[in-house]
This record gives sequence, C-alpha cells and structure tokens, in this order.
Amino acid sequence: MTIHTAFESKPLHPDFLITDDGLFFADAAGSKLIHALDSKFRRMALAAGSEERKFPTVIAEETLNRSEYFQSFPGYASSVIEPSRKGRYFLSPAVCYHCYELLKSSVLSGETLITCCGKCFRADSADDSHLWEFTMREVVFFGSPGFIREQRDAWKQHILDLSVRLGLSAEVVAASDPFFGAETRGKRLLQQVREFKYELRVRRPSGKDMPLASFNLHEHFFTSKFDITIKSGDTLHSGCVAFGLERWCMAMIEKHGAEEALRLVENVDDLR
Amino acid sequence: MGSDATSASKPLRPAIESLLRFVNEDLLADSKKKVECDTPLFDEGWIDSLKILRLIAFLEVAAGKKIPDALIVMDRFRTIETIAKNFLNQ
Repeated sequence: MTIHTAFESKPLHPDFLITDDGLFFADAAGSKLIHALDSKFRRMALAAGSEERKFPTVIAEETLNRSEYFQSFPGYASSVIEPSRKGRYFLSPAVCYHCYELLKSSVLSGETLITCCGKCFRADSADDSHLWEFTMREVVFFGSPGFIREQRDAWKQHILDLSVRLGLSAEVVAASDPFFGAETRGKRLLQQVREFKYELRVRRPSGKDMPLASFNLHEHFFTSKFDITIKSGDTLHSGCVAFGLERWCMAMIEKHGAEEALRLVENVDDLR
Repeated sequence: MGSDATSASKPLRPAIESLLRFVNEDLLADSKKKVECDTPLFDEGWIDSLKILRLIAFLEVAAGKKIPDALIVMDRFRTIETIAKNFLNQ
C-alpha cells in the first residue's frame, strides 16, 4: 500500500518512509513488525526480572536539568509550548530519564530492573536513520557496580546472538555520545576508554552503519543526581539497554522484506 | 603484587617514572589515591573528563606526536605500564 504524508519525504522502501523532518511512516506490514519487535524485547525484559512502567511522552524541564541534558546535548530536546500548563515541558529525548525521576530520593530494597517503552524526540538532525521522533524500548538497571556491568555485558551478548538468529549482519562496537560543551572531547574520550557505551550496528544497503541498540553504563551519575540509594548502603550504579524500534524495523525489512522479517521476529527464540 | 616496573630491584625507566610522577603528583594531586605502574587507572573514576585530556596532552608532549582519538581505548590505557608500552615505546 502506498504511504501518503502531508510532508516532504524521500521514498526509502515500499513499506516505510522518512520525511525530510525525520518523521517515520510505516505501512501495515511495517507497523506489525514494530509491534512484534517490541513484544520480543518486552518479553526478554520481563523474563530478566524487570518491572514495567508507563511514562508520558513529555518530560519536565527540571528532570532534564537535573540530568545535565541541556549542557551535554544542547539543541537536541524539542520544547513543548502549552501556556495552560503549570510546568515547563519538553518532548522526552529518552525514556529512562523518567525512571530516575520516578525513583528520586528513594531507597531501593535491592537490585532493580525497570522496562519502559515510549516515544522519544531528538531534534539534532534528520536523515535516513536519525529520526526526530522514534520509539524506544529500554531496560534500566540499578545495583552494585559489578551487577550493572554483568547486566550490561549479558544484554550485549544476548542481543548480538539474537541479531544473528534474525539474520542481521550486525556487530557490537565501542561507542560514545555526541557530547557538546566545554568538556566535550574529554567526556567522549572518557566514555570511550572506560567502555561506558557499546552499540549494536548494522550495515545498510546504502553502505552506512546504523545503530540498533545501545548498552550503557552510567556509574553513579544518575543515582547521585537523583539521590537514589540502596538499603544495604552499598554504592549504587545504574545502566541501561535501549532499542530503537523503527531502526530494527528498517534493518529487518531491508534485509528480508516485510513478510519474512515478521516471520523471523515472531518465530526466533528469544530466551536467554 | 608489583610488576617489573614497580619492583624495588629494578629502577624505573625514565619515561615511566616521569608518567608515574605526573599521574600521582599532578593528575591525582587533589586525591588521597596514589597509583603504581600496574594499578588500573580507570576502574574507580579518579580520572575525569578534564584529567583524561591533561593525561593525553602530557603523553603527546612526551611522545612528540599527536595521539588519534581512535587509539584512546582501554586496551592501551589500562595502566601506566600499558600506556608507556603503547605510546612511549617503553
């Protein structure tokens, strides 16, 4: 079925398109595939012991301020102007910020995993893989430094194995965020040398690499900023794994076609 | 457990000694933590985003050449010894 939008766009594939402003449209097959992919990641998160949470698409300016988001990524967050609301809001640039706000000033009884899925918005650029609006499934973990690294590394291996079973030619590589500001290069190199961030990347037919998932260590950054502690009194770190669902959809369709992509996602074993 | 470079029976090679002194007396001047040649430098967060830049600047002067960002990875920066081996020909 042809996809019609009110916006300028370039046709990438019969099953999906991306407008010049970075909005993603999928046909029925693509939409079904995105739901199937999220069901799979959600099932894996719940099997790992995650609690599920639902968060709003907008996020309070205060939460992003506390996360130093504006210093690290100026120009990324899209503001929401609604004079009738009391607070100042932005469109959420990642789902996990809500988790830290949720747990602010709390004492966890033990290691904690939370999974959440939501719409995210990043206004930095728009091309055939950087969307302004996209859907992110995340698993956020809290625990000792050793627990967080174990979780991150286990997810990294597990998702790499899954990508192989899904027929994707993907690889896991050390990565860094595109920091801005006075300490840009230092932050980026520290993240790189300390292996805080890995990405699962796939090569597209265009020859460009596209990240499908990221596996991140935050150390005590968010637990300190949001005053989250653990009953044992031990050092509490956090980490997360994030899946960009539209990118998985694009990668699977480009590799297999929509029908086979859906068959694979629905049938490939996702158990650890 | 000391490495060859920290062994009391062997004097430290000048480049390692100079790097060790820089890390302990300059980078970690505001910290009680002091490192040896085989101490993992990045496990505990002593080196922040500014200190890593100062470390790289020190190495670039000592080595007399720029260090590409792509080479700043854990395998080459784990300890003083690893850094000296990879960037100071020690």
